[in-house]
Amino acid sequence: MEQHVAAEHLQVIRTLMERSALYRRTLAPIMLYAGSVGCVASVGGILLGIDALPAFSIWWLIAALVAIGGSFAIARRQAVEDGEPFWSPPALRVTQALAPPLASGLLLSLGLIAFGGDDLRWVFVLANALFYGCAVHAAGFFMPRGMKLFGWLIIAAACAGVLGRPALGGVATSRPDHALMGGLFGLAHLGYGVYLYATEKRKTSS
Amino acid sequence: MNPEALLQLDRVIHEKGRLAIMSMLAASPELSFTELRETLQMTDGNLTTHIRTLQEAGYVAVAKSYRNKRRLTTVSMTEAGRAAFAAYLALLERIVREAKPR
Repeated sequence: MEQHVAAEHLQVIRTLMERSALYRRTLAPIMLYAGSVGCVASVGGILLGIDALPAFSIWWLIAALVAIGGSFAIARRQAVEDGEPFWSPPALRVTQALAPPLASGLLLSLGLIAFGGDDLRWVFVLANALFYGCAVHAAGFFMPRGMKLFGWLIIAAACAGVLGRPALGGVATSRPDHALMGGLFGLAHLGYGVYLYATEKRKTSS
Repeated sequence: MNPEALLQLDRVIHEKGRLAIMSMLAASPELSFTELRETLQMTDGNLTTHIRTLQEAGYVAVAKSYRNKRRLTTVSMTEAGRAAFAAYLALLERIVREAKPR
C-alpha cells in the first residue's frame, strides 16, 4: 500500500516538475500573427517582383524581424495582462533553444546576400526553413501542444518544396520561391494557429 | 521494509496541495502566484493558505514587487525547502525501491 502511494506521489511530482518548466503563453495569437506576416510578405514579394537574391533575402529577413518582434510584443502583453514576469525561466529556456538555429540561419542568409547569385535563392529557402524547423523543434521541448511535431512538419515541407521546386519554374523568376516561403512561414503558421485556437482551453475567470 | 515509512515523510510537504507547490518550485527558480494558481487550478485562498504553511516551515520565500504597475507576488524555494524536498523524494524512492521484488 505504502509503495503504491509513494509511486503515485513520485509520478505526480515528475509531472508537475515537467509542467513547471513549460512555457505557458498562449501560442495561437502568435502563430496567427506570424502566419499573417509570412503570407503578406509572400504576396508582397511576388507583386513587387523582388527577384534578385540580395533583395529577396533582405525582404524575407525584414519579414522575419517583423514576425519575431511582433511575437515578442504579443507574448509580453500576455505576461503583463496575467501579472507575470515576461522573462520567466521557461521563456528563457525557449529563447535559448531558438537562438542557435536562428542565428545560424541568419549567418547563412548574410553569406548568401554577400556572395550568392540568383540561382541560389532555393538555398536561402531551404536553409532558413530547415534552421527554423530545428529551432521550433528545440523550443518544443519547453513548450506544449505539438511544437516538436510542427518543427518536423516544417522540415519535411521544406525538403518536399525544394525537391519540387524545379517543377514550379526556373530560377529566373522568384515567384515559386516567394510562394514556398509563404507556404512554409505563412500558411503553415496560420494553419497551426487556427488549430491551436480551435483546441486551446479557454481561461476560466477566477 | 519499515511499515511506518510513510509516517516518516515530512507532513508539511506530504499534503497534496503543498506537494504540488513544492514540485513546481523545485523545477523553477521562482514562480508567480498566478502561474502556480493556474497550473494547479487552486483558488486564491487555498493557494495562499498552503504557501503560508510552507513559509512558516521555512520551505518557501515570498517576494512582493511591482511590475508594469501591477503587483507581482513570486514564490521561490529556500535552501531549507530544497533540502527537505530532497529528503522527502529520497524517502519516497526508498519506499518504492524496497518494494520491488529482488
